[in-house]
Amino acid sequence: QAPSRDAVRQLCQESFSSPPAALGPLARRACPGLAAAPEEAAQLVSALHNLTRHVVYRGLTKPEDILALFPENFHQNLKNLLTKIILENVSAWRNEAQASQISLPRLVDMDWRVDIKTSSDNISRMAVPTCLLQLKIQEDAALCGNNPVVSAMTVELSKETLDTMLEGLGRIRDQLSAVANK
Amino acid sequence: MGLLNFSPEPLPEAVSGDMHSLNQLGAQQFCALTDVLFRFLTEPKEVERFLAQLSDFASTNKISLGALKSIVKSVLLVPSGALKRNLSSEQVRADFIALGLSEEKASYFAEQWKLNSPALTRLAVGQTLMINQLIDMEWKFGVTAGSSELEKVGSIFLQLKLVVKKGGQMENVYMELTLPQFYSFLHEMERVKTSLESFS
Repeated sequence: QAPSRDAVRQLCQESFSSPPAALGPLARRACPGLAAAPEEAAQLVSALHNLTRHVVYRGLTKPEDILALFPENFHQNLKNLLTKIILENVSAWRNEAQASQISLPRLVDMDWRVDIKTSSDNISRMAVPTCLLQLKIQEDAALCGNNPVVSAMTVELSKETLDTMLEGLGRIRDQLSAVANK
Repeated sequence: MGLLNFSPEPLPEAVSGDMHSLNQLGAQQFCALTDVLFRFLTEPKEVERFLAQLSDFASTNKISLGALKSIVKSVLLVPSGALKRNLSSEQVRADFIALGLSEEKASYFAEQWKLNSPALTRLAVGQTLMINQLIDMEWKFGVTAGSSELEKVGSIFLQLKLVVKKGGQMENVYMELTLPQFYSFLHEMERVKTSLESFS
């Protein structure tokens, strides 16, 4: 009953991306386009959500696998259309799922500058270089939904601290190469 | 008293009396006291040891501890001011002479000052204000095996914990980086190192 293929595609995408709580409002929005009753729309949207999420969860990539999910007497053309739409989107949806995975706060940006300290209350003349590092950290996307909170933290590193840090980072790099080469 | 190198302000009254007492010490005693003072200045955390040594000095040389402490307080004004103003040993010597110390004692103290000033300067620089100083960094990395959205994932994550001194307290900052971010971070930090080295 959908007006066009694109409408189906759009509905699939929105159903996948919505968290379960947002499916109700999505169904209500979809009602007019589908000329369906509210309960039917809600059922449809919920079914699309579950279907698309299941495909992404299992990592299904073959058309046969997806076609197998539909019940036997499902409308043939619609089944093929849905399968095609799902296959088109599955890799973008996979990335979306990974990006919104729970995680620690994520580093989103970093900036640095080097200052030379020339004077202080302890010593009136000196020339000590120091590094200021600003890290922009985004809170867990899953918690923030559409309004991620980004905080900036500026830390100061002396040359000695930086050297120690680089040693640590070098060790991480070596460990990563060892893992990659296994 | 004329203008002094180590201090622009008028000195406390006790200082001239203390300098006079200091002058009365024998050469040997003066050297010993100077050594005790510099040992404390280069290791300012060893307060108890310093006080114990002063106490020993007082009893060995038959001076009252109270009088000794007053002398020490006055004497320490000079190296502290000298450090702030990056004074040379000649200037330190001149100041002690201006304060009434004998040339011999002033020269000895100035010599010790010259020997110790690199260490003392490093200590003072180390105490310079730092904003949110990075104290420590810990990490772990691993592979995300699965999640509620994806049955099989297999992506590598790197987690960093930075321990930062904010004011008086330590704060832990946790963050996750992807591999490309990690390599980019490493690259940037190497650039910082090059920059810091060029200014050292």
